[in-house]
Amino acid sequence: MNPVLEFDHLTLNATVQGRQIALLRDITFTVHPGRTFGLVGESGAGKSMIGRLISGLLPPGFTTGSGRALFEGTDLSTLTPRARRAQMGDRIAFVPQEPLSALDPVMTIEHQFAEHFAHRGIRGRGVRKRILEWLHAVHLPDPPTLLHRYPHELSGGQCQRVLIAMAFSSEPRLIVADEPTTALDVVTQATIMALLREQQRLHGAAVVLITHDLHLAAQICDEVGVMYAGDLVEQGPAHAVLRDPLHPYTVGLRNSVPNIEGPRRPLPTLPDQMPGMLALGDLPGCRFAPRCPVADRICAAKLPDWSEAEPVHHVRSAPACRRTAHPAPADIAHNVARDGTPVLELASVCLDYSSRVGFRRHRVAAVRNVSLTVGPGEFVGLVGESGSGKSSVARLIMGLEQPTSGRIMLEDRDPSRLQFVFQDPQSALNPRRSVLSLITQAFEAPGRHVTDEARNARALELIRETGLPQDCLPRVPSQLSGGQKQRVNIARSLCITPRLLIADEIVSGLDVSVQAQILNLLLRIGHELGISLLLISHDLGVVRYICARVAVMHRGAIVETGPTEQVFANPSHPYTKTLLNAARVQLQ
Amino acid sequence: MIGDGWKLWVGGVLLAVLLAVAVFAPLLAPHAPGDQDMLNTLLPPAWLSGGSADYPLGTNSLGECILSNLIFGARTALIVAFAAATGCMLLGTTLALASGYLGGRTDWLVSHLVDLWMSFPPVVLSLLLMVGLGTGVRNVILAIVLVDWTRFCRVIRSNVIQTRRRDYVTAARLLHLSHLRIVWRDILPAAAPLIATLFSLQLGIAVIVEATLSFVGLSVGADVPAWGIMIADGRGYVHQAPWGLIAPMIAIFAAVLTFNLLGDGLRATLDPRLRLSRT
Repeated sequence: MNPVLEFDHLTLNATVQGRQIALLRDITFTVHPGRTFGLVGESGAGKSMIGRLISGLLPPGFTTGSGRALFEGTDLSTLTPRARRAQMGDRIAFVPQEPLSALDPVMTIEHQFAEHFAHRGIRGRGVRKRILEWLHAVHLPDPPTLLHRYPHELSGGQCQRVLIAMAFSSEPRLIVADEPTTALDVVTQATIMALLREQQRLHGAAVVLITHDLHLAAQICDEVGVMYAGDLVEQGPAHAVLRDPLHPYTVGLRNSVPNIEGPRRPLPTLPDQMPGMLALGDLPGCRFAPRCPVADRICAAKLPDWSEAEPVHHVRSAPACRRTAHPAPADIAHNVARDGTPVLELASVCLDYSSRVGFRRHRVAAVRNVSLTVGPGEFVGLVGESGSGKSSVARLIMGLEQPTSGRIMLEDRDPSRLQFVFQDPQSALNPRRSVLSLITQAFEAPGRHVTDEARNARALELIRETGLPQDCLPRVPSQLSGGQKQRVNIARSLCITPRLLIADEIVSGLDVSVQAQILNLLLRIGHELGISLLLISHDLGVVRYICARVAVMHRGAIVETGPTEQVFANPSHPYTKTLLNAARVQLQ
Repeated sequence: MIGDGWKLWVGGVLLAVLLAVAVFAPLLAPHAPGDQDMLNTLLPPAWLSGGSADYPLGTNSLGECILSNLIFGARTALIVAFAAATGCMLLGTTLALASGYLGGRTDWLVSHLVDLWMSFPPVVLSLLLMVGLGTGVRNVILAIVLVDWTRFCRVIRSNVIQTRRRDYVTAARLLHLSHLRIVWRDILPAAAPLIATLFSLQLGIAVIVEATLSFVGLSVGADVPAWGIMIADGRGYVHQAPWGLIAPMIAIFAAVLTFNLLGDGLRATLDPRLRLSRT
């Protein structure tokens, strides 16, 4: 059978600051009809660049070098955008990352869908019937009323269903889905992936799924290709790549993701993070070599060739790769509560928001009757979907909101012994302050002033504790990588050693290899400094990895709480079961 | 694509020239301001027939040297412009910080005050103020400050509100830093590029307002050389001696252009978003 999509030693170049840099090197893979090919990699790996190349949306200044990208025999890289639209418009469809922003906010669902059909010359009476059929096919509830809804009246998952229906309705040969579930909740993610798979089986289209999640790709895809810094480093049958990864990077990527079952093994951490676009020009050999635990001089000098490990399982490996160590499974200890009075105690806390629609006042209960304790040195996880009230609880504890009823008790009267780590370091760090001034900002509070030498000394201690490079003190946030920014963010909260740290989704924006670094950092400082942690997260694996106890929130209330292992092994509340099942589908 | 960097350079050089002229006026000007030569009234510039090398740009109806008046006029214009722009900046920024950072009632009060203030036609307001205050350099400056502070206040307030919503300000509050320190270290630096740009644009506006007021005789006293007064004088003799009108107009034009270029250039160099889009 002829492949739908075939990349044949394709190279993509860009001119950055006067230098020509190969953003994609020697990309070779094929996608056959009815198959799903997963492109996996962390941000900056170049996987979205392949998606843009297929769709003809390359940024200006990006040109294809040697090699070809064939879609049903036509070389995509030689087509002009206009010719591409004319020839490929119907045959390649896209499912975007942000469903809500992909739909026009001022058009009803029927209107958008009808316009989509009109592009293909389908108009008139039958259109409404066909739209209803499609909405039905993607399991949307009550299609007739949905027709007259606007995108903002639908949930993110429903919008994504509409977009999937649109994508398949033009009977394409190839569908490119770029992180289609990243913006959605865990439970919704699983159903959307199942839907994508089901529609693909029905219609026999080929799918290229772009994702950062190796486990998700292994679950959904037939074949996967793992990308690192513009190179495809390993590809083959999805289960083989996940089960027996051969490339050191794939091994690292697989092991960086915390599990929700099995032994709690320590996450191995790769140092640093993926090189940026400018650094690529200085890496002629294997681009993973600087971070690779087993690399030697040969790796850094020359791009390794493909070798076939097993039939159809290919890896771009050098001799050194064979030394890759697979960590032995070992159970690590949790940071459990030490003796003493709890550092934090919430007793039946409620928080109502009142909003006004017209002349009528509505009261919305954001937090309902929440009781929670955090013991000294204990790591507690608060999990739930977005909108479940997790962040409202954090704001209540920080005193940014006042509870409508109930009590919040802190063991330490001094409010600075309670610290908060913000989710988005981009917004949480003043871009005009240096690292030195940021991490020792607490000394600027009245009554805490110290000499410049003392401030400097504390800053040095803090960067050592949080694993920041020695020379980073005079730098400003824009000169740091994402992982380093999050470390600065954490270092700031440690300046006056806190009793309790509250961390709101602090790893959700990070790549898995950087996430593993930050999680290990939290475990270590908790252990060394005896700090308690309340971790707010939607990621069950992350919570299981570092939290001794977990509380599950649903619609503003805590529905289940207990030791993490116990809750994960024997969930009692139906909602906890749903959450765990959704996560398990992905991690199988 | 040509960036906006050149505007900063050209504006800067022009400003340096303007400042030099103002500072060294007594050395540069061929005559003292107000020196009248009744024998040589309404002379054309030196390069036209009938002109005299003694009066490079000719004389006005009172026999005063136009070039000298122009040079001493630059002093008045710059003093008024810098003093008025500084006043606008201090008053507007202070109120904007209070209003944007504190929010609530303070914000309500300041915002409504600005709205109310801006609903007066600025020309009428400044004329009324000048009538009330009387002429003189100090009063012109005061009048311009009282009319134009609202622009600073409005623009900077919205910037302050944007910054206040960032997590780093919440983080500083959670570290229990004092409000003054947060404003000084975290809010004001974010607004600084905007303040510099507005200041530069305000310099240009102040030059025009001052010229307008002196044109109607409600600015500096009649004994102080000012470009607006020169235009008013030259207007009556525009057919006999057009240079009495043209010269001060060019001076005003050049000064305003200088400040606007400088403002545009500052905005382009200091605004990180514009800097990003260029690279």
